[in-house]
Amino acid sequence: MQEEFNEIFLKYHDIITIGVYGTAIGLILIGLYAVLLKKNLVKIVIGLTIIDAGIHLLFIGIGYIKGGTAPIFSPGYEDAAKRMVDPIPQALVLTAIVIGFAVTAVALSLVIRLYKHHHTAKIDQIKYLKW
Amino acid sequence: MVITPVHYIVVPLIAAFAIPLLSKLHKELFRIVPGIVMFYNIIISFVLMKEVNEVGYISEIIAGWEAPWGINLMITPFSGFLASLISVLGFLIWLYQYRFKKVIDVDEIKSYGILQMMMITGAIGIIITGDIFNLFVFMEIVAITAVSLTSFYRGRDGAEAGFKYLLIGGFASALILLAILILYTQVGTLNMAEIAEKMHTVPIGIKSTILILFIVGFGIEAEMFPLNGWAPDAYSQAPGPTSAAFAGIVVKAGIYGLIRVIYTLFDIEGAFDFLIIAGLVTMIIAEFSAVKQKNLKRMLAYSSIGQMGLVLIAFGIGTKTAVFAALFLMFNHAIIKSLLFMTGSILMYNSKDKTISSIHGIAKNLPFVSIMFAIGAFAIVGLPPFSGFWSKLYVLTAAADKEMIMLIIAILGVSIVEIVYYFRVVSKLYFATDKEHLDIFKPSNNSLIAMGILTITIIVIGLYPDLITGYLHNAADILLDRSSYIDFVLKANVPIQ
Repeated sequence: MQEEFNEIFLKYHDIITIGVYGTAIGLILIGLYAVLLKKNLVKIVIGLTIIDAGIHLLFIGIGYIKGGTAPIFSPGYEDAAKRMVDPIPQALVLTAIVIGFAVTAVALSLVIRLYKHHHTAKIDQIKYLKW
Repeated sequence: MVITPVHYIVVPLIAAFAIPLLSKLHKELFRIVPGIVMFYNIIISFVLMKEVNEVGYISEIIAGWEAPWGINLMITPFSGFLASLISVLGFLIWLYQYRFKKVIDVDEIKSYGILQMMMITGAIGIIITGDIFNLFVFMEIVAITAVSLTSFYRGRDGAEAGFKYLLIGGFASALILLAILILYTQVGTLNMAEIAEKMHTVPIGIKSTILILFIVGFGIEAEMFPLNGWAPDAYSQAPGPTSAAFAGIVVKAGIYGLIRVIYTLFDIEGAFDFLIIAGLVTMIIAEFSAVKQKNLKRMLAYSSIGQMGLVLIAFGIGTKTAVFAALFLMFNHAIIKSLLFMTGSILMYNSKDKTISSIHGIAKNLPFVSIMFAIGAFAIVGLPPFSGFWSKLYVLTAAADKEMIMLIIAILGVSIVEIVYYFRVVSKLYFATDKEHLDIFKPSNNSLIAMGILTITIIVIGLYPDLITGYLHNAADILLDRSSYIDFVLKANVPIQ
């Protein structure tokens, strides 16, 4: 079952790679669209997290190699050094996810504060401070 | 106990976790502990600067992994100078805000001290780290704490300013992350020295893409036009001490990131011209916007952006004199603008609508604060007996050496604009008599001491600039010397003789 899956995976590897990169760039663009054009504060915050998700996917995508394994030496994987997946992008993404979580938390708390203060979540109705 | 660069980061982090617990023991402790940490930062700076003067570079390896693989902290004369400047300013800002009346009224005072401390830690982290991803992490620490501090007051429009800052900051961090990603695919390392060494193998198209992403990312923190939309709002809505910290500390860290990336990582011709143009546009637009501001803190914020434009111009000229002038300007801007924000926010507490016209003639009620504000204003426009004069002179000298006549005309022309709006405020403080001031908010003694120290520094450096110029020359030389930085980190980690 596992080998069958690997075979199929290797066969369509190129398509999957393009799919990953395409999805990542698509996510970044969708996020940008939401941040720049949406009026609702919550939707803007969601857009910010979507941009982050796209960049994280890109990170994981570049670290992957065809038919790679986990970067661990274990019995049965003595030749692993040749086909290890680069672990650094994955470590970076873990850090970036935690940072993104903190930023989102602060952003949402500000949205709540703004909503309580102005009784609206539309950004074009909150313009006491000029740009 | 041996003092090493990692103390800059570890001690405040431990203190930040300990403060909520300690404040259960005694309710004064959450105010005192950040001060102790800031003072310890000054001690670290002194010890490390002494060592740097002897050996040239200090590189500390974290967790036992050697430089290209693990994270290393670098203290060079350049980064050490900035870290010390930030440490001293951080302590003075703590001294200023200790028992700060308006801040004490707020329930969340506990979080205030912690956030302020973490912001300073993040800024120092940006400066001393030798790893590009680590730099990103510290930048996020600065961004999150700065946003929280901007929206600290509940009653005001802080949340709006904070949200704006967070949107722009989040965008900036996404761009920096993308730049780091592309860089990693090209050179396969995150260590700044190794990136710099392998940079010449990267194709020029990809190189410029990375550079543009980095410049936009750091330019937001460094208040570069047109990425500085957050600055006037954040400065004017944040509590007074925080505005001082923004001008003195956060912006310096942003500029440092920009300069480290351009000078050490990249060697593209034309990046320097770009800096000059960006700086010029930033300076001219900011100074002209400052003229029409009615809110004093907004005016100071625009002036701060203008000064950063001048720093970018000086770094863009790129000669040894120019880099030295840029460092001198950064030093001056840090102390003078912090003083202006400290005195300015005390003046503003006596005004209901936060406008300049409501504090006319307040000098006779607040003589010390007004005279210190006036000295700060004179220093920042560059009048001769004060320190601001020398840095502006050195920038002009550096421009003259390269025969950039138009640049000199632009800088001098903008200085006149600066004089107009600063002198207008100072003259109104002293000579306008159309307002009576009752129920004056007086600064506490520790605030006066903090402001006094800054004022005395401005005057002393103005009279004896040689006290720091020799040191700054050294820092400028080191910054321009890419190869010794790379060699030191990658080869052997032995001190350079």
